[in-house]
Amino acid sequence: MKNIWTIFKKEWDRVIHDRRLVISVMLLPGLMIFLIYSFMGGAIESFTTEDAVNVAILNNTTGFEAIYEVAENPEIIQIQPITDTETASYRELVDQEEWHLVIEFSPDFDLYSGGVNKPSVTLYYNPNDPDSSSIFARFQGYLITYQNSLAYELYGDTRYFILETTFTPVDPNQMMGLIFSSLLPMLTIMFLFSGAMSIGPESIAGEKERGTIATLLVTPVKRSHIAIGKVLSLSVLSLMSSLSSFIGIIVSLPKMLAYENLDVSIYGVGDYLMLLLVLFSTVFVIVGIISILSAYAKNLKEAGTLITLIYLVVIIVSITSFFSQGAQNNSLLYLIPIYNSVQTMTAILSFDPAVVTYLLITFASNLLYTIIFIFILNQMFESERIMFAK
Amino acid sequence: MEAAIRVMDISKTFNLSRKQQKIEQTKSKIKVAVDGLSFDAYPNEIYGLLGPNGAGKTTTLRCISTLIKPDKGDIMVQGKSVMRDSDGVRQAIGFLTSDMKLEEFFTPNYLFDYFSKLHGVIDSVASKRKQALFQKFGIDRFQEVKVGELSSGMRQKTQLVISLVHDPDVIIFDEPTNGLDVLTAKVVTDYLIELKNAGKTIIVSTHIFSLVEKICDRVGIILNGKLKATGCLEELIEKGDTLEEYFFRLAREEAGDNQ
Repeated sequence: MKNIWTIFKKEWDRVIHDRRLVISVMLLPGLMIFLIYSFMGGAIESFTTEDAVNVAILNNTTGFEAIYEVAENPEIIQIQPITDTETASYRELVDQEEWHLVIEFSPDFDLYSGGVNKPSVTLYYNPNDPDSSSIFARFQGYLITYQNSLAYELYGDTRYFILETTFTPVDPNQMMGLIFSSLLPMLTIMFLFSGAMSIGPESIAGEKERGTIATLLVTPVKRSHIAIGKVLSLSVLSLMSSLSSFIGIIVSLPKMLAYENLDVSIYGVGDYLMLLLVLFSTVFVIVGIISILSAYAKNLKEAGTLITLIYLVVIIVSITSFFSQGAQNNSLLYLIPIYNSVQTMTAILSFDPAVVTYLLITFASNLLYTIIFIFILNQMFESERIMFAK
Repeated sequence: MEAAIRVMDISKTFNLSRKQQKIEQTKSKIKVAVDGLSFDAYPNEIYGLLGPNGAGKTTTLRCISTLIKPDKGDIMVQGKSVMRDSDGVRQAIGFLTSDMKLEEFFTPNYLFDYFSKLHGVIDSVASKRKQALFQKFGIDRFQEVKVGELSSGMRQKTQLVISLVHDPDVIIFDEPTNGLDVLTAKVVTDYLIELKNAGKTIIVSTHIFSLVEKICDRVGIILNGKLKATGCLEELIEKGDTLEEYFFRLAREEAGDNQ
């Protein structure tokens, strides 16, 4: 135990006392993510505003038409005049995020002359769809302008019509959960791996290349203690690196999605603890894989090449969260390393009811993989062919 | 007196890659590095393994230090087998070879403490030992300088000191004076004699005749992985002969046998 601590401390000191490594591993990832995604967010925002605008209008008026035609780009706006019977089907399209907005003017809108029964305008949009929300906001503005322009013709009550808003029913937590669950697992695993990738090869392949591993192997320390000490230390350092990335993602996500209401407070302490458990168990698996590849490689360069290949696989596995709506419900899939972590994080972030089962399977299987990896690493440290391969 | 190190008929082969086969100009896929080697080393003695490059000296020392395992035979270090109790052997030995480097990022001070802990040396003992060894080898002034920034001589002295953090009874040094200036080399050889007088068992490998003549009590001459002769210098060398002349006579005989 004492030796494990001694090895751990030396590995720790190797990184913590190297200012350049601390900056590149602990600070830069978060900063880079913040900059890249903020930039990406800006790009996405400008891209989405150029998207087609689909608005269905019942009983449109020439006065209103004159207002929005001034402000909107005629090349991208598509105004669909609809009849009374079509409104329900267009509302459904909005619910399905296939249409942006429905505006319903009451019949004989133009004929109002100041009586008690005011005409009305009803807007229908989908708050789950960022495009629909943004178009709704613009058209609501035009309607208020229109209302003001009509007020000049009236005396007393200056409101010509009543403006009503209805929208697709939404559970805001569910919606935000889906946004987080499609992005965070992918980004977290990718950054967890890249964090471990920047320290891991140095600790084993680097020591082999420089001949310092022989100095360690000639001490009476058990090979298994060397393996555990290195894996443990690298895991904690990688976890710190990935936490930097995690914070970077959380801070930049609202900006990236151009959705300022995105709020991480929808998750409770339990959710964060579960996420930490997944991160903790995953980092051991990742460090285990990287350590084995590093021990196998003859030098740093070879280790880098081997690990990059695995990194590509990890990226592909991580990306599955981006395309899936919620977590997989087949428990067996939670035995696959890395994939199980991605899916469990998706389950946590999207409030999946079976999350505890997935978490337990993932945690237990990751623990088992870690033990297997340490055993393999121990055997590799025993092997002169691997340790002293030139 | 009981031998502290008993090397018993060890053999060690390595697989050759195609490239290595070309370099060695052989069709054999196996290189015999050590071939049925046996010798003993005793406390209060410096045993020298003398031989040219590639004769099998370093391989033999690596087998004794448990970094590699012999294919055949066994080695007992203070009664512990390198095959069955390698952890026990490593507790008893201090091994120094040019292949073993120190991490350049750390200072001699840090590394001494690190390796002392790995060898289970009590802090107070380690501290006293560090002070004495650093002073003896002139490392004290550089103890907070990173190894990467030390001169090669100072680096080698640091490596030597770190191999002795646990005050081992058996000391194995591979080419201990290689690359050292004459002054430093003298400090090292004087220290080896001091260790011998303190009752340690020391094995050094070298290809320098004068070093053997100066410090070794007994010598083993290795050629092509085989021990061609072993014993006291006086026993081996006929009157009027020098070690050098004796060595080349053996080398000629070996070359003749191989042809």
